[in-house]
Amino acid sequence: MAMITFKINRYNPDDEKRGHFVQEYQIDVPKGYTLLDCLNDIKWKLDGTLTYRRSCRSGICGSCAMTINGVNNLACETQVLGLNCSTVTVEPLRGYPVVKDLAVSLDPIVRGLLAVKPYLMTKTPPPTDQERLQSPEEREKLDGLYECILCGSCTSSCPSFWADKEYIGPHALLKAYRFVADSRDECPGEHLEPIDDKHGLWRCHTIFNCVEACPKDLNPTKAIAELKKELIRGKLG
Amino acid sequence: MKYKETTRSGGALPWLFQRISGVYLAIVLFVHVVNLHILIDGEIGYAAIAERVATPLWKTINISFLIVALFHGLYGLWIVLEDYIHIGWLRVLIYGVIATIALVFAIFGTLTMITFQYGG
Repeated sequence: MAMITFKINRYNPDDEKRGHFVQEYQIDVPKGYTLLDCLNDIKWKLDGTLTYRRSCRSGICGSCAMTINGVNNLACETQVLGLNCSTVTVEPLRGYPVVKDLAVSLDPIVRGLLAVKPYLMTKTPPPTDQERLQSPEEREKLDGLYECILCGSCTSSCPSFWADKEYIGPHALLKAYRFVADSRDECPGEHLEPIDDKHGLWRCHTIFNCVEACPKDLNPTKAIAELKKELIRGKLG
Repeated sequence: MKYKETTRSGGALPWLFQRISGVYLAIVLFVHVVNLHILIDGEIGYAAIAERVATPLWKTINISFLIVALFHGLYGLWIVLEDYIHIGWLRVLIYGVIATIALVFAIFGTLTMITFQYGG
């Protein structure tokens, strides 16, 4: 148990005069408490107006991604005592419009996601007696790609996205490669064509922030490099 | 449907040529260093350098190095400007000034190389 100070960035759209400000809360944090547990404690016991997103509290839904001590992570996967500091700074994910307090609008990443057609596309009719099968080797190629939980941490940490709000972002590119690499997908061009754009794939400058930010330890930069290879191969015939 | 339909498509070929030009520059620099500092006989002076630069092969290498280096640098600079200068006309103005100066240097450099003579 330790007394921890939480410095939380707050914003109420109904109080534009006050704008963004930092509010401090102090609570006793027992061993094993995640940041989400602490935020719940603050909201339920100290200040019911504090706003943040949460759902599964198991690192699956991606709702509670936020910037914790300057690093993007999931609140539900962050052990507060493991941060080894008496003050924890909590901000909404950077780069997105803030809706209220720690809740941001994820419209930019949803727009990017829809653009890459994130679903399997086929030309041939499905087999009548079985599903579309993959070999274990083909399935293995999707490891490190399919696990994305759409928390938005990667795109929020990307300096190219900060500079260009029309940049499609690493999460959508990772998702595009997840389908391009899938042996069952027969229309890789459908996923590649929308990202062959100066605000698409070519905007990535290989900064690797997305790799550091991903709470699921995925590697969007590697996926982007593979997509670049695919597109260049396609153009060179 | 493009991610953003109003934008110009592409970026693939400039991206590829930026990589190819980078590799070319690294190779030519390596050859230059090996030639100038390792393989050269005697003292490094005007005579030794001028004799080499006056040959057609080195003229070609130097002119290609100049043009490729300028392309590589200017395209890289355009990418940097796109990231940091968000006012369209200002970005084009800054780049226009830099590109014009670069073009003048490219012309001077090429003319110098073509007309350079040494000895007989």
